[in-house]
Amino acid sequence: MNFAIKLLTSTKFTIAIIVAIIILAAVGTVYPGGDAIFGSWLFLIFIGILALLTATCSLTRMLPLWRTITHPTIEVEDQFVQKLPYHVNLTGVAVSQFKARLKGYKWYESTSSETTFIFAQKGRIGRFGPHITHFGVLILLLGVVIGVAYGQTNPYSDKITVIPVGGSQQVDGFDLRLDAFNVSYYNDGAVREYRATVTIIDGNQVQTRDITINGPITYRGLTFLLYGYDSNGLSESGKASWVAFQIKNDAGIALVWTGAAVTLVGILLSLYVSHKRIWIKLYKERIILGAISNKNLARFSREIDNLCTTLEDHP
Amino acid sequence: MDIAALERLGFEIALGAYLISSIIFILCLSTKKRRLAAMGFTLLGFGFAFQTLALITRWFYAGHPPWVNTYEVMSFFAWTIVGAYLALNVRTDYKSVGTLVAPLAFVMLGFASLQPSNPTPLIPALQSIWLLIHVPIVVASYCALFIAFVASILFLFKDKQLHERRPLENNGLPRGSSTNATRAISQEPSGVLDKLSLDQLDDLAYRSVAVGFPLLTIGIVTGAIWAEAAWGSYWSWDPKETWSLITWFVFLIYLHAKTQNWSPSLAAYVASFGFISVMCTFLGVGYVLPFLETYINVSTGLHGYAGGGDVAGTVLFCGILGFILLLLFLTRRRPPRISDAPLADAKTEATQIN
Repeated sequence: MNFAIKLLTSTKFTIAIIVAIIILAAVGTVYPGGDAIFGSWLFLIFIGILALLTATCSLTRMLPLWRTITHPTIEVEDQFVQKLPYHVNLTGVAVSQFKARLKGYKWYESTSSETTFIFAQKGRIGRFGPHITHFGVLILLLGVVIGVAYGQTNPYSDKITVIPVGGSQQVDGFDLRLDAFNVSYYNDGAVREYRATVTIIDGNQVQTRDITINGPITYRGLTFLLYGYDSNGLSESGKASWVAFQIKNDAGIALVWTGAAVTLVGILLSLYVSHKRIWIKLYKERIILGAISNKNLARFSREIDNLCTTLEDHP
Repeated sequence: MDIAALERLGFEIALGAYLISSIIFILCLSTKKRRLAAMGFTLLGFGFAFQTLALITRWFYAGHPPWVNTYEVMSFFAWTIVGAYLALNVRTDYKSVGTLVAPLAFVMLGFASLQPSNPTPLIPALQSIWLLIHVPIVVASYCALFIAFVASILFLFKDKQLHERRPLENNGLPRGSSTNATRAISQEPSGVLDKLSLDQLDDLAYRSVAVGFPLLTIGIVTGAIWAEAAWGSYWSWDPKETWSLITWFVFLIYLHAKTQNWSPSLAAYVASFGFISVMCTFLGVGYVLPFLETYINVSTGLHGYAGGGDVAGTVLFCGILGFILLLLFLTRRRPPRISDAPLADAKTEATQIN
């Protein structure tokens, strides 16, 4: 049991799984028919394991992290402060000056008989960045799974329908009529645009819209894409007599885009928001101050050092 | 002068400037003169200005963004890499990074010059707002990841150099923090590697990945959104998609390695492999896979800028790949001599503490 938990929260094991996925995916692209790998059980199992590891990583680390961050230890020993990457002894500086100069920090205070403990922190959300990323990836994968699962039972999940020009086709309770199909050309004879003009007839509601490559239309949850056309007819007589449409309905797609957005936000928080913490102990004559940040430590130390120097010189 | 000739002139001046700059940077490898690197840098800036003129001109007369056919995409790549390098040098002196930036910019622009330069009309699949968004983001991410690669390679060479020189330094080596050890030794000049410390190079690699990785993520997502609109499927394990995901995974390993206190040289190797994967995505998929008969219809797809059975492209890709592998091979350390053993131990210890 212990071994299982260790394995499931191990970064090394996770990286081993990622390496396996990389190798499988690379192999899948280099030999003919290799793309069958991506639908294979082996590949899906590896993706499944990676999803599980992603989830357990965050589930086991989130709660302790939440506790450390919402209930920081304020009353610390001098030794603790002196072991922080930046620490300094100050005289003749009032804590209120720090409060005035350090913007955006959340301040905590606690007093014992001879010492006042002060703690300040900023950028806590940055610590949750990796977990937000993990959560986003899981939402995305859930969207993919829902799309695939729902697609099995949905006749319109991915369907090709051929409609003759002027004809119409019943789709899920409404009619799609193909009014016209136009092809326009550049001067050198290359195709500029394929444009199908269709009319949706849904009871009393009638609307005419154009479908182009890159310009699909969506009606009642179904997306219609331009899939193909009568190319023989077009090359022989300049007129295509039919057009093929692809009908798509992916129930998971909203989750896929949401997951992607959450992932991206998580990545940016992880990489750019640094969690800065400052401990100050106030004695009668002097102050000891220690500071740490989880990113850009050198810059943060410089920033605090400059502030301390300024405050000491111009109290 | 007609406008196409103006574009061509800007292009050729840039090509010449990048060539001379490459030669200067290569000369820098064997001399210690900082002036030379500054000249190489200025020439890149000069070439960049002319290439910017060429790109704007081309956008104007082609009537679409100048990143559609091979000629345009390769020169846009060269332009972005030089631009990224110039931007990098605004606040801090990272001129040594030009040692690999200038040759890559020259090779890409040189390759572009071999391609038909007349603008191709936009096929229907490319007529999308995503052309304007997806392509520059992806190219920018490749360039940021290239800078990460250069920083990593310089790191590995410097690490090797320090490791092999150490016996001569004898008692000057502080035990404990590797940071101090690096700073103490990096005072000594040694060609392009003199100015930047190991820490600076490691930090540059990390910060470049911190720019390139989110851009790559946005690139993949915008690509998926585009594919959904054009092909009706946001993901179809198309080799371009697959290799971009592989690249994403490699840099995912890099970022996790950074949180795990792995040795910086291991992280540098991961970043280097990440850039190999970038090159596979950018060039390999179009220029190699068709020969393996797994991705033939590339010229009709949205990523038609590379492919179409162009052997020059295959040579370009294999050349770049071979060069990267050669560099990585050269970074391997020679085993320390017996007399170095105690110092080698000190080094290992220092790395672990870091």
